[in-house]
Amino acid sequence: MKRFLSSIIDGRGFDIGLVSLPLAFLLTLSGLPLLYNIVMSFQEVDMFSLGSFWRPFVGFKNYRDLFAQPETWPILANTATFVVASIVGQFLVGFGLALFFWTNFPGASWLRGLFLVSWVMPGLVVGAIWNWILSGDFGVLNFILRETGLIDGNIFWRSDPGFSLWAVIIANIWLGTSFNMILLSVGLSAIPRDLYEASELDGANVWQRFWTITLPMMRSSIGAIIALGLIFTLQQFDLFAAITSGGPNNASNVTQYWAWDLSFRQYDFAKGATISVIMIVFVMIASVVYVRSTRHEVRG
Amino acid sequence: MSHQTRDRLLLAIAIILAGIYLFPLYWMYITTIKSGSEMFATPPTFWPTDPQWQIFGNVWQSRNMGRYVWNSLVIACGAVSVITVLGVGCAYVLARYRNIWVDIGLFLILMLQVLPASLMVTPIFVGFSQIGLLNYPRLAVILAIAAKSMPFFVVLVRATFMSVPQELEEAALVDGNSRVGAFFNIVLPLARNGILVSAILIFMQAFGEFVYSKSMIQAVELQPASVGLNSFMGPNTNEWNNIMAYAAIYVTPILAIFVLLQRRIVSGLTSGALK
Repeated sequence: MKRFLSSIIDGRGFDIGLVSLPLAFLLTLSGLPLLYNIVMSFQEVDMFSLGSFWRPFVGFKNYRDLFAQPETWPILANTATFVVASIVGQFLVGFGLALFFWTNFPGASWLRGLFLVSWVMPGLVVGAIWNWILSGDFGVLNFILRETGLIDGNIFWRSDPGFSLWAVIIANIWLGTSFNMILLSVGLSAIPRDLYEASELDGANVWQRFWTITLPMMRSSIGAIIALGLIFTLQQFDLFAAITSGGPNNASNVTQYWAWDLSFRQYDFAKGATISVIMIVFVMIASVVYVRSTRHEVRG
Repeated sequence: MSHQTRDRLLLAIAIILAGIYLFPLYWMYITTIKSGSEMFATPPTFWPTDPQWQIFGNVWQSRNMGRYVWNSLVIACGAVSVITVLGVGCAYVLARYRNIWVDIGLFLILMLQVLPASLMVTPIFVGFSQIGLLNYPRLAVILAIAAKSMPFFVVLVRATFMSVPQELEEAALVDGNSRVGAFFNIVLPLARNGILVSAILIFMQAFGEFVYSKSMIQAVELQPASVGLNSFMGPNTNEWNNIMAYAAIYVTPILAIFVLLQRRIVSGLTSGALK
């Protein structure tokens, strides 16, 4: 007993104690639910069996039912559109801004940091603001688009099935651009300046320098940022709750909102768990890509 | 073009870009102080003609915001405490050693970091309701947020510990300190700033958390401000000045903390998330 105590104060036991407690906590509150999710996706769960662990197993019935539903494929397609459009938008705008701020003038780093407010704001607040900006009759975005002559009539961003998904995408691009920009700035500042000086002496123009130095040197940061973007986009829930609630008629619904909607609006916990399992597999793949692309960093 | 004019020109462009980017924030504040009719004017006014300052007090009263913000504070403080107490030690060990077990631990943590809350809430809700934890809904939300955000905190704080020279700790051990003593007297004080910044980041996230609170807290008097904002925004609402006032009251403290600590937050974030 004494040896055990002294090991905790003064030896390996100290380290093991420090690391095992949080890991146990994480495994209980994240790992177990993960497994429980998979179990539930093979069970029949309704309001009556919610309280018991031993529910009837139904095999792949939940999965078959899910894919027999007419809305499943459109929602999966929406998710793909949402993810791709958000990532492309965030990345392009973020990269453009990062390149601009990289020119390094007084005040650049402070102003650049200011962009990050979009990222620290609660998602619900961002959603509320964009909900108002995108409003059909009185929204300021429609006003600006009308004044600049881009559109003739008002776009009903939130209630037009053709635009509602894009309403959320616009808000999500705004939300995520700053984070992309900050991480890309870090990557840019790691490129050695003498590479550019050498190529300038060799007569390369701005465009050639970008394609032959900047992009290749940024490859691993870009990989990490796109994987992170995928992870963050698949986590985006608050904007859907605040702007469209997945409507009208599922036109802007995506899987991460749908899973919640099935569980907590329609009380179909088994289906909610099923769609969660499918999406978590995707997220896991993205995070393996992310971990791989930052591996050199993780190992130091 | 002289160096100075170039700098001024770039700064001007940067300010314009920041202005465009931050326009939604400006629009929130400006809508707040517009009167009911001015809000729906076409063309919209970009500077209020008749600012309504009393709206903040009115919304605070009528929406019972004191209670909502208090609940948000309770949840955020609870989550930050749990995460800090558990996460600091974990980050320290993961920074101090380099072997296969540390790699496995880091990999596990990075994988747990990416699970979307809206997908995890189903099993967490069912599990918590079975063990009776939903009778203490704010505690349930605190635990769920802690599990969700701790990996991010560990990754950030680990980067801080990596920058503390190990020789200092070894010197303390040679001088007769125990491991516990060296940890609390030498390592923790040196890493204090990084831990503080990471804790503030986690606090901001928890303060705005929505999915878990919305799903697990049924009683209105225990709900945080994010859920309150959500129930304020009905599908056909037209009280936009009130909603924006609510949002402004909710978000201004976070923005103030951010602007004050901006430099530290940005550098802490970038050192941890990506080197």
